[in-house]
Amino acid sequence: MKNMVNKLVHAAIMLLFSTLLQAQPGPRAQLPDVVPPPQRFATSTGHYEYLYNSHNGGTSHSYDSVPKWEGLWSAQGNNSGNQLFLESLDGSPIGPFGEGENVVIKEGVLTPEYEAAFQYRRDLGVDYDRLTSCEPAGMPRWLLEPYVREFINTPSQSWWTNDLGNDTRRIYINQEHKNIDGTHYAAGDSIGFWVDDMLIVHTVDIYPSDYFRGTPPTSNQFETVEVWRMETLNNGTKRLVNNVTFYDELSLVEPITVVYTFWPRQDLQALGFRMRYWECAQNDNTYLTFDDEGRPSTQYRLPGEDGYVDPRGNDRLRNPDLPAGLVGQEKSPIFNDDVQ
Amino acid sequence: MKTTIKILTVAAFLMTTGLESAMAHHSFAMFDRSREEFLTGTIRRWAFNSPHIALYMETEDGTLYSLEGAAPPSVMSRSPSMNGFTFQPGQTVSVVYCPLHDGRPGGALGYIIDAQGTFYSPNDGGCGPSPDWEEWVKQGYTSRAEAEAAQ
Repeated sequence: MKNMVNKLVHAAIMLLFSTLLQAQPGPRAQLPDVVPPPQRFATSTGHYEYLYNSHNGGTSHSYDSVPKWEGLWSAQGNNSGNQLFLESLDGSPIGPFGEGENVVIKEGVLTPEYEAAFQYRRDLGVDYDRLTSCEPAGMPRWLLEPYVREFINTPSQSWWTNDLGNDTRRIYINQEHKNIDGTHYAAGDSIGFWVDDMLIVHTVDIYPSDYFRGTPPTSNQFETVEVWRMETLNNGTKRLVNNVTFYDELSLVEPITVVYTFWPRQDLQALGFRMRYWECAQNDNTYLTFDDEGRPSTQYRLPGEDGYVDPRGNDRLRNPDLPAGLVGQEKSPIFNDDVQ
Repeated sequence: MKTTIKILTVAAFLMTTGLESAMAHHSFAMFDRSREEFLTGTIRRWAFNSPHIALYMETEDGTLYSLEGAAPPSVMSRSPSMNGFTFQPGQTVSVVYCPLHDGRPGGALGYIIDAQGTFYSPNDGGCGPSPDWEEWVKQGYTSRAEAEAAQ
């Protein structure tokens, strides 16, 4: 009986998380329809160039006319993540990180090698997240991470920041891709053009990444074509919509098109929230480890332990080239609250 | 029936705190989310910073507990809202937390309860405390296991 109750509780929580993952906090609104590409393209470049030529190079905006998306925004609903790659055999809900007793990988979505890699990841469990090391989420995970974003558009560049991992995307408007570094990047290299109030973005040169914790990996050949616009719902609420097509010949059997939405955070603005630097390496004490069975996992440092970092305090490891006890070196001068 | 009510209560709580409460840049493997413990002590530091807010609290026996919570934009969105001045060193508070599996004095924050009895919810996915704690605190329970065993 107790086992049955536990299963019921588990199922209820899974259902809840599943619902939440599709409809993150904020005003409830139906997802916009996914708009598929106008035809099948072999590459993201072919897709982007088709759109660019179809719109005759798009709209040339001035500072006055460029669409304004200022303010704070958070991720809202989407039909991406593990919804694309997992299915439940018995209709039971799928957890936010792909958990579930009868949850299996959908066939024919991932290439055989990446399907096997995803199964390998799932067999290890979800006690590991590559972001524990404080690297930025990068694309495509940038689109799904929680917390706060800012979208700043200028006629020649758009700067889109995510406070999680100080993960900023820069979109170069009416410009060509550049890679003088000989490497890829977390956010990749993005170019775009406006069609009136709609921004079409092409992103290449992305690090191997993932869609979220517990999803399949993407390869270093992953590329995207995004169509961004701000829309006004019937109740007057604004939201940003991104209709994005994922291309990855190494991990995906076919390109996939999904939609992500973002909602304005006037609530946080009213509370005085301002985006700050994500000081993950300087004030976070979680770190990657391996459990007794050799599986990647996570652990937590306490004061006095090797590697502990002291958030807001006088971190003795921060400036070893200064005399110990130098006045005025606490990160927060407001409280005298040393914990070491 | 009682279980169903609890599930719905937890569901309502999670719907109000949102999915952000479940997210973080790391997993919660080190926290024992099946346990919820109650402690009272003196705040040594309230660190309101990304990616995780942290509360350092010293108990009467001199043990320093290190407790992690959600990110600032998440805890600001809760009711009551919290910011970097909500709690101050020297203040006496109680906490409900999910302890570290290995028994060291630390864990994931569930609730912070101030001297006036106000419950704050700074938790992320590391700890999803029972909504019954308001009642359990009044009855003097110090762990979820103890409270549930008595009912």
